[in-house]
Amino acid sequence: MPQTGATLVDLLDRVLDRGVVINADIIISLSGVPLIGIKLRAAIAGMETMVQYGMMRDWDQSIRANATIGDRPLRGRAASGITA
Amino acid sequence: MSLSSIGPGTASTAPEPDTERAARYVYCLAAIGEPASLGAIGIEGREVYTVVHRSLGALVHDGPPRPYETRDQEQAAGWVLAHHRVVEAAWQRWGTVLPMTFNTLIAPAEKGAHDSLLAWLGTEHDSLKRRLDAFAGKAEYGVQVSWNTAHFARQVAQTDPEVNALEKQIGSQSRGLAYMYRQRLESLVRKGVEARAALEFKELYSRISQCVDQARIEKTRVAEGEWAMLLNLSCLVSVGRVPGLKAQLDRIESTDGLSVRLAGPWPPYSFC
Repeated sequence: MPQTGATLVDLLDRVLDRGVVINADIIISLSGVPLIGIKLRAAIAGMETMVQYGMMRDWDQSIRANATIGDRPLRGRAASGITA
Repeated sequence: MSLSSIGPGTASTAPEPDTERAARYVYCLAAIGEPASLGAIGIEGREVYTVVHRSLGALVHDGPPRPYETRDQEQAAGWVLAHHRVVEAAWQRWGTVLPMTFNTLIAPAEKGAHDSLLAWLGTEHDSLKRRLDAFAGKAEYGVQVSWNTAHFARQVAQTDPEVNALEKQIGSQSRGLAYMYRQRLESLVRKGVEARAALEFKELYSRISQCVDQARIEKTRVAEGEWAMLLNLSCLVSVGRVPGLKAQLDRIESTDGLSVRLAGPWPPYSFC
């Protein structure tokens, strides 16, 4: 079975470099804003190790606990992630 | 398009009066029927809520009209992860999302960021809805195949007739000549391995891409020791095809000298 762990480095690439870009004048321009991605890979790799060793698990869970709407909690992290 | 022409069906969580001059940081878009609040799960704990036009909603927070920038890498990593967590929460709740790129901010122009966003959702409604629908039941995965260069170098050395012939000649040469032969041998093996890499790449790409809806070739990352990344793909996969992809990856993983990494599922960041 191949490894299935989602790595933060893979995510980082996507969140920073991908996703929908709005091409309209309602957007605040990013020109002149230095890309924060360059050295971020190293930082993320460090955090990933922390997550692996459980150091950030509590923090992660508390963030998820916050994502509760009234008494209806968000679905847990589904294995497939797709609920459509 | 003027706001008055948006008409009935437009609804949103009303902005706080003191945030009228604030920008709207947009995390993602989703097919959202009823306005909702997701709580303080945003970047730096900001309240995330929806701005909904007809059945299309944006997940946003109210914040200063400046892009996020910092030299503190840990802070930056926290922001990027927070962005993703909101997208993921929306993905789990509404099923399909169009994730925005990091630092997407709607400016507080004369009519305010809230109204600008609503107007934009109105103008783009149909095309955004079509894009959303195209991602229904699909997720992005990262597939990376690494190969053991030492293993394949040995294989080339054992099977390439030119390499074999040269190896036999080395023993009968003087020290100086043997050195030159060895240099030539190394170069032959290197070329053989490169040719093999090109073949393996084509073969792997073909095997993997036929198991997914769309495959996008990414740059490979730096090698770790004997293992070098041969293939790095972003794949858009229908939920029903995931078992088939995993079975194919298992077969690749069971090949000597190849190692597979599967990451995801994620919202379709690379296919928006």
